[in-house]
Amino acid sequence: MQVYILNILVIVESILLLITSLILFSKTRNLTNLKKYEEALINAQAEQQAKENDFFPMLVHELRAPLSVIQGAADLLIKSTEDLNAEQIHTLLNQIKISSSSLLEMVGEILDVSKMEGGKFQINKTYGSIEDVLKEQCSYFEPVAKVRKVTLSCPKLEDLPSFSFDPERIKQVLNNLISNAIKFSLEGGSIVITSKKDYGFVRIEVVDNGVGVADKDKPLLFQKFFQASNHKDIKEKGTGLGLVIAKGIVEAHGGKIWVEDNKPKGSKFIFTIPLR
Amino acid sequence: MPKKILFIEDDEGFFNIFSVPLKMKGYDIVHVSDGSLAVEKVISEKPDLVLLDIVLPGTSGLDVLKELREREETKLTKIVMLTNFGSDDNIARAMEYGASDYLMKYNIVPSELPSKIAGFLGETQESVVKVTES
Repeated sequence: MQVYILNILVIVESILLLITSLILFSKTRNLTNLKKYEEALINAQAEQQAKENDFFPMLVHELRAPLSVIQGAADLLIKSTEDLNAEQIHTLLNQIKISSSSLLEMVGEILDVSKMEGGKFQINKTYGSIEDVLKEQCSYFEPVAKVRKVTLSCPKLEDLPSFSFDPERIKQVLNNLISNAIKFSLEGGSIVITSKKDYGFVRIEVVDNGVGVADKDKPLLFQKFFQASNHKDIKEKGTGLGLVIAKGIVEAHGGKIWVEDNKPKGSKFIFTIPLR
Repeated sequence: MPKKILFIEDDEGFFNIFSVPLKMKGYDIVHVSDGSLAVEKVISEKPDLVLLDIVLPGTSGLDVLKELREREETKLTKIVMLTNFGSDDNIARAMEYGASDYLMKYNIVPSELPSKIAGFLGETQESVVKVTES
């Protein structure tokens, strides 16, 4: 009987040892997984850093170009005042204005992203009609689209109620989406901007039949410094921050922004803003 | 007869600040902003000198240069690269393809560009001014 009990005890002890070993093994595996996650995180951070380092010279180049133009134009105006005719003076002064506006816009974008990353980005909501903002932006871009031989239309689908939003910031989102749509449209293309109510939200779509967004680019589209390069005729320019800012603005309103394919050709940028 | 310069540049700002002093010195400036139209324009305009940017829509400046050098009618045309991109690789390729020189936009004061161009064309500044006055 004693031997029998002893045998049972040995078996129980072995089982306990096996369980302990299994627990220990599982913990070790968890630790290994944890280590793997840590390594993956470090690698992802390093990759992001490397990407930012790669794009930094490009960003500086984008800032330097208008600065050089301003400096060159000012230099000519100072050194050659007497030799320049009225038309040349006007060309140079106008160029200073255009280049300084573009510079200011880029600096503004960098500041916006910096505020968004630091959690200090704020919007100033006022109660008003988003239809007025859409109408204004459509009128602003119509001549630009015409020059690029692209048709731009903003058909009214339904009446939208007034609500609270930041009109200047929503203009900025629309500016970005419409100018991108024009940039990535080919001659003869068309852009349609619509707005409608969608379950407590207003849903705005900017739809083009241009070159579209490659599947591989879609996850990167709203990331810092990303520049799509999906057509040989379209030169990439800018800070690569426009869509990051658009996303930040929409999210600050409590909405969402995303891209879909516009079958059979082109892309559809959609954003929603809560009606409150 | 003023000397003709074909300026292949898509940035309106750079085109304006570099073309104004050249026009002031009497050069006839023809502007092309799309790389894919550049070769055709050089053939039809027969310029005395081509100012060529590298980053262009359509076809890159280096490809334009290569094609111009391969064509019988343009293989001897003076071509000066005027660009922002001064990487060793770009400079080496441009010189290998037969560029007359490689100028960096940031290093050139616009008012000094005409004297450089006059040098490439074997002119003195005075002779350029005389062309303007005639």
